[in-house]
Amino acid sequence: MKRIYRRRSWSTIVSATAIAALLGGCAAGGAPQESGGPSPDAGASSAEIVRMANFGQEGNITPHTYETATGYNLLGLVYDSLLQIDEAGVPQPWLAEEVTTSEDGLTYTMPIRDDAAWHDGEPLTAEDVAFSFTYYQDGPPGRFRTAVSNVESVAVDGETVSVQLLEPGASFELRTLAELPILPEHIWSSIDAPDEAPFDESTSVGSGPYRLVESDPGTSYSFQANPEYFAGAPTVEEIRVIQFANDAGAVAALRSGEIDIITRSVTPEQVPVLNGQQGLSVLEGPEYVTTLLAFDTQRAPFSDVAVRQAINLATDRELLVSDVYLGAAIPGNAGWVHPESPFYDESIETTFDVDAANALLDEAGITDSDGDGVRELDGEALEVELLAVSSNALRMRIAELLAAQYAEIGMRVEVASLDQEAFDQLVWPEYDVAAGRNYDMAVFGWSAPTQADIGQMGALVDSDPTLGNLNITGYRSEEADALAAELRTESDPEARRAVAAELQALIAEELPLITLLYPNGLYGHSSDAYGGWTSITGQGPINKLSFIPADARP
Amino acid sequence: MGPWRFLISRGGQYAIVLAVAISLNFVLPRLMPGSPLALLAGVEPSELTPEEREELISEAGLDQPMIVQYFRYWGNVLTFNFGTSFRMNEAIGDLILERLPWTLLITMTALLLSSLIGIALGVLAAWRRGRASDVVSLNTMIALDSTPSFWLGMLFVALFSVTLGWLPSYGAVTPGAQLAPWDAFVDIAAHAALPILTLTILSIPGIFLTMRYSTLSVMGEDFIRTAQAKGLTNTQVLSRHVVRNAIVPVSTVIALRLGFAFGGSVVIETVFSYPGLGRLVFEAVSSRDYPVMQATFLVFTIAVLVANILADLLYPRLDPRTRT
Repeated sequence: MKRIYRRRSWSTIVSATAIAALLGGCAAGGAPQESGGPSPDAGASSAEIVRMANFGQEGNITPHTYETATGYNLLGLVYDSLLQIDEAGVPQPWLAEEVTTSEDGLTYTMPIRDDAAWHDGEPLTAEDVAFSFTYYQDGPPGRFRTAVSNVESVAVDGETVSVQLLEPGASFELRTLAELPILPEHIWSSIDAPDEAPFDESTSVGSGPYRLVESDPGTSYSFQANPEYFAGAPTVEEIRVIQFANDAGAVAALRSGEIDIITRSVTPEQVPVLNGQQGLSVLEGPEYVTTLLAFDTQRAPFSDVAVRQAINLATDRELLVSDVYLGAAIPGNAGWVHPESPFYDESIETTFDVDAANALLDEAGITDSDGDGVRELDGEALEVELLAVSSNALRMRIAELLAAQYAEIGMRVEVASLDQEAFDQLVWPEYDVAAGRNYDMAVFGWSAPTQADIGQMGALVDSDPTLGNLNITGYRSEEADALAAELRTESDPEARRAVAAELQALIAEELPLITLLYPNGLYGHSSDAYGGWTSITGQGPINKLSFIPADARP
Repeated sequence: MGPWRFLISRGGQYAIVLAVAISLNFVLPRLMPGSPLALLAGVEPSELTPEEREELISEAGLDQPMIVQYFRYWGNVLTFNFGTSFRMNEAIGDLILERLPWTLLITMTALLLSSLIGIALGVLAAWRRGRASDVVSLNTMIALDSTPSFWLGMLFVALFSVTLGWLPSYGAVTPGAQLAPWDAFVDIAAHAALPILTLTILSIPGIFLTMRYSTLSVMGEDFIRTAQAKGLTNTQVLSRHVVRNAIVPVSTVIALRLGFAFGGSVVIETVFSYPGLGRLVFEAVSSRDYPVMQATFLVFTIAVLVANILADLLYPRLDPRTRT
């Protein structure tokens, strides 16, 4: 493997092609590159054990009780879905041997592979698949009910399943078929309250490459390889997940050899430390995580599009990338979409021009009449509060830099730090945009799935609170609603790209939110312990593909 | 007044304090901004339909009027039914019993060690008042007293785990290891070593300073001069007269710390990812897991009250003058 050094100077806007070159030409994901470090050789392709440091509030790892995004990825070790996304993030046949879609886009027909079996030896059948859909739909409410809300009925004919939709769903393959864990009917048919079902052999039977053999929420989990897995025996015998209470502790444990990988990005300043230690390195790759500036577009001064445009022009994204992330991030695109995404429209321009921003505000009549350096709007000084989560040092720093940048256009910004729950309560009360909002500006973030499915872009701007369930800025426009609707139903790849491009142009012009940057994934790991890490574009290496034989990956 | 009469007369006061504490314990978490919905729903609360939201909230009893929740809470407190954790789907009583031994292991050991060392050093410093050793130890203690615990903990991890590789940096046991009893004991001791070391070092100054000042004031008393005049040796004066009198205020400090020991140390248990009560509290607070917060705070409240009662009972035994 060619050794690629970590490059520090991403101080200019990096185009998609430049990033592709930087990452060794694998624009569509592929094996992540070792970003420096003293050991150029990839680690072993198999291992006895891999110990992962994980964080956050994880519950029992079952389809009904997992809590975090990492928990979902771990769930994928135990369960399979009908489709499995490949390294480029594209759904490929998995439990389903193929997918045939009817002319009207309403019927999906899928023959189920005959060599898949449950961990207890029972064969996995089309009946199990149909049962799973029904269970998620009519059973106890759970994580996957929304994913099956568009399903009208499921029919079984021999070993073939056909799913009938209520309306065409362009994201159905990605968001449902590739996400839904298929459950064993012979076990789950008798589970009425999965939240209360204790962890034991009966609730942890899946069909995946690993079996969850030990679960102690808050402390640790152990996954044992399933040698009978239909895609081939897993490459690591045991995966041990250890719950850490803080980042620094996990980095210390990695450095002392007590763990082998950290499931979430290390902070940028830890990268040289880890790369500098023998046997350790950092897997760096673009990630679909988005850091953005949100504001209440229904509240002055943000209700004025000129103000939003001026803020966008006054935002020095490259400074944020170089000062806060030490280069380990990609500057945000005003049109929201990550340059690595297949839907990225490179004609969208993201400009930094303080003079133009000032001119725009002057033109809009928002001027500094009393000469105190702060503009006035309707006689009131242009003063706003910028919220940031106190536990996230990087976002706090971003908020401080933004406050300084916006002072340049005569806007006085007061930074306020809050704990996560208190922050959410103001920006996204009850996690329901219909409940309104109560903030001026906030440094916010969306996780990888929001970029991984382009259909989610509509949810950011749609004025209907159900369809626009991520519209935390309260943006309303008929044009955006129409484009979001098209994006939901348009399945033809070319037409979908065109709609996505139109919506990007609209976001870049109207600025319902300001995309600041996309932090790169920085996964500290022991390159000596295991070298089979496989990243899914934009979503990092903690996934099923990292543990199944290379030739068996979709 | 005998201990029983004492308990009866003070019992009423303690009962009132306990009732107020239990009520505050109900109110405080609910005054915090933020919602437990994210926790109840899992990863994507934004995807819930309004009906699902209602179902989740009502399942957790959070849709009831405050007063109903309050009386329900009292019912649960009186029957020691702490309910189920929103997050872990585990009975909270079990959860606390699982975590408490780990917390007690590190806090009690540290309390014992820091008390012994703090008392010994305090007496020694007072005895050598004004000399170089007193000045050095006094300044060292004041510096330690203002040392942030997370910083010292991280420093120890960097030194003993990362650089020297002598001790594990996290957890209470090696996860997944099947060990013989002796090896398991060594494993637990090795994991507890750094948390205990950090806690001990940071707890010494309080005891040291109290002991030093208390010894100094006793040494100025007339009866000490009398003892010396009687021709007792320094050791005899110290052990029979000085320390026995000077230890009284220190015993109060230690008894109170005994109460707080049940709460563990949120900071230390977080730095070392140690599975004690402190970490449980931290996680419960950051995810607004009300039932866990209430149950753990209740344990703390009771522990502190019991420690107070102990101190009240102990005081007259140590200092006959306070017997009434």
